[in-house]
Amino acid sequence: MDSNTYDAIVVGSGMSGGWAAKELTEKGLKTLVLERGRMVKHPDYPTATKDPWDLPYANRITQETRHRKPVQSRTGYPTPANQHWFVDDLDNPYVEEQPFDWLRGYHVGGRSLMWARQSYRFSPMDFEANAKEGVGVPWPVTYDEIAPWYDKAEIFAGISGSSEGLPQLPDGHYLPPHDLNCVEKDFQARIADKLGRKLIIGRCANLTAPLTHNESPQRGTCQARNMCIRGCPFGGYFSSVSATLPSAERTGNMTLLPDQIVYELIYDDAKARASGVRVIDANTGKTTDYFAKVVFLCASALGSAYIMLNSVSSRFPNGFGNDSGELGHNIMDHNKPGGTSAQVEGFLDMAYTGRRPNGFYIPRYRNVGKDKRDYLRGFGYQGRAARANFARLNDSTLMGDELKKAVREAGPWNIGMTAFGEIIPDHRNHMRLDPVKKDKHGLPLLIVNAVVRDNERRMEKDMLSDAAEMLEAAGYKSVTVKSDNYNVGNSIHESGTARMGADPKKSVLNKFNQVHACKNVFVTDGSFMPSFGCQNPSLTYMAFSARAANHAVEELKKGNI
Amino acid sequence: MSAIDSPAMLQRREVLKRVAWLMGGAVSAPAALAILQGCSAKDAAPAPGAAAKYKFFKGAQAAVVTAIADAILPHTDTSGALDVGVPAFIDLMLADVYDAAAQERFNKGSAEFEIAASTSGKAFLDRDAAARAEFVKESLEKALAAPREGGKPFILMTRELTLLGFYTSQPGISENMWYQAVPTAYHGCVPVAQMEKPVYWE
Repeated sequence: MDSNTYDAIVVGSGMSGGWAAKELTEKGLKTLVLERGRMVKHPDYPTATKDPWDLPYANRITQETRHRKPVQSRTGYPTPANQHWFVDDLDNPYVEEQPFDWLRGYHVGGRSLMWARQSYRFSPMDFEANAKEGVGVPWPVTYDEIAPWYDKAEIFAGISGSSEGLPQLPDGHYLPPHDLNCVEKDFQARIADKLGRKLIIGRCANLTAPLTHNESPQRGTCQARNMCIRGCPFGGYFSSVSATLPSAERTGNMTLLPDQIVYELIYDDAKARASGVRVIDANTGKTTDYFAKVVFLCASALGSAYIMLNSVSSRFPNGFGNDSGELGHNIMDHNKPGGTSAQVEGFLDMAYTGRRPNGFYIPRYRNVGKDKRDYLRGFGYQGRAARANFARLNDSTLMGDELKKAVREAGPWNIGMTAFGEIIPDHRNHMRLDPVKKDKHGLPLLIVNAVVRDNERRMEKDMLSDAAEMLEAAGYKSVTVKSDNYNVGNSIHESGTARMGADPKKSVLNKFNQVHACKNVFVTDGSFMPSFGCQNPSLTYMAFSARAANHAVEELKKGNI
Repeated sequence: MSAIDSPAMLQRREVLKRVAWLMGGAVSAPAALAILQGCSAKDAAPAPGAAAKYKFFKGAQAAVVTAIADAILPHTDTSGALDVGVPAFIDLMLADVYDAAAQERFNKGSAEFEIAASTSGKAFLDRDAAARAEFVKESLEKALAAPREGGKPFILMTRELTLLGFYTSQPGISENMWYQAVPTAYHGCVPVAQMEKPVYWE
């Protein structure tokens, strides 16, 4: 029994689990990190240095991948360079009552390896919105409370970007910003002039300069390869594999076990505390119990809520900590109804060198200041301008020397951008366990049922037409709006399934990510979000995970948990 | 999967481990570049054209596609489609990447292409290089002018795959674009006059 007992257990090794592991181990806790997928160690990323000609099928998704990974293939991600990071859907089924794109990887590092690295703070406006508008539950945390933890996360991870002084997108600690290219600068100037809108370089977790601390000697600067999703042997971007887990490892306090599927929290009625977790070995099917004083669930919004719903006891007949009935509900993501692009004339004497792992960002401006719309909240845009490659000549009649000559000249410029819109929490958007169907481990299947609703639909009109308006105002040609059939989950930002709040009757977690009804269980992945802003959420998960872990250590010291 | 665990790959892992260790120290980016480039050059895949056995092509398809690819991107003072094994690439793409509807469209279209050539004077494969190129160009013009129903027609599929196969091959990239395995930095506004070739597309 002793060998299965630790001070802390962290379930999941991705964005939030890595942070929990680092903070807990650095504070001296013997910590067991349980990961359901296979081991990945920095810098062993199998495709990271493959040149374009090393990749089969010109790096296009194969029919075999589409067959094995039909859900993951709904994005363009599972190419030969990346497909090993995406789950096999046939082996990992779930039930879509409404179409839901659950894009994920089961391996050490989770989605911190594949993320797009955009790193924005939520603003006071975001933390206050629910309370002001009577939506969902009020945030129990203010911007000022979380700001020091944003500082900590940014400094450790290394975020590049520019300080802009925008109230809706607070500045942080930034490494030098990437360049905007010539056309992006032109667009920036024109929409500022014509529409008073702000375009900035994306804030991203790529090291444009050395880190400002000495805690990550295994990391070097970003080499502008833009192959981040394959894993970076230089450690040029933040992932748990390259950054937080090595820090945890160096303390000597971490035990990291891959291939361990946590399926249940063990509740001790006498002590009114969780005593540990139950695990199935993904390879052998063997079950094991592990015990600890404190448990961190960092298994993703659907993953952590799944474990809680599957943890039924006489105290928690409806799922662990589910006195409020909100567990598994209020699923959010970012609505992404389409993209807008245009052709840009001129600038043919200018290009760029290197491959920038980043784009431009247009921060939210709707319902900011005096702007008032017929919907709540707002959206931001991510995009880039680039010169067209050889594929522009697919539909042409040029042949032979003429064709070769045309390819050797960079093509015309084009510009494109995509809006990410806030989805407001709705109790009806939920997940639950299938009472009948089981997976290959004998565990119940997850059922998901979430759609975008009235507020999102009203916002979509602006999301698409504002982009066209900006590109037209800039004088660009052939402005094309492509509306996509967005499924919830497709932005890979699913969240909200165990929201935090001050009122235990309406929320699952308290302001320190502790389960209201069981204070030694913390949930620090996207589950905790009571609202979602329109910013990419990972930096917020890092900040809350670090804060929760430090709170756990303090509470342990005080004997409160 | 097997490529990942090949001896070459394991060797690369070892190299990378060393690189990553060094990165924490003071190794310069150009030094890392040299290590990585040396590594990838050694591992470069052999030209796919080496194998003569096709997975998808039937009958005269291989010969027809080979002739079309050669007409679109012939060997001149620089490499051409056949130098880098484009026909075998197209065969693999059709077999493993394209769905059944696209495969059927390709098969139907290739038959029609041959019939069109025969009825306009001479079987496509019986024509000399210049006449083949002329017929390919005419076919492209017709396909581009025609209303598009249910996906790209055969000749445009073949053209797209020819360009894709060639311009993702090592000679296609290195002879025509400025590809850097490890660029080290992004510069947003560079005069084209300073660049010999367009930067490698992403």
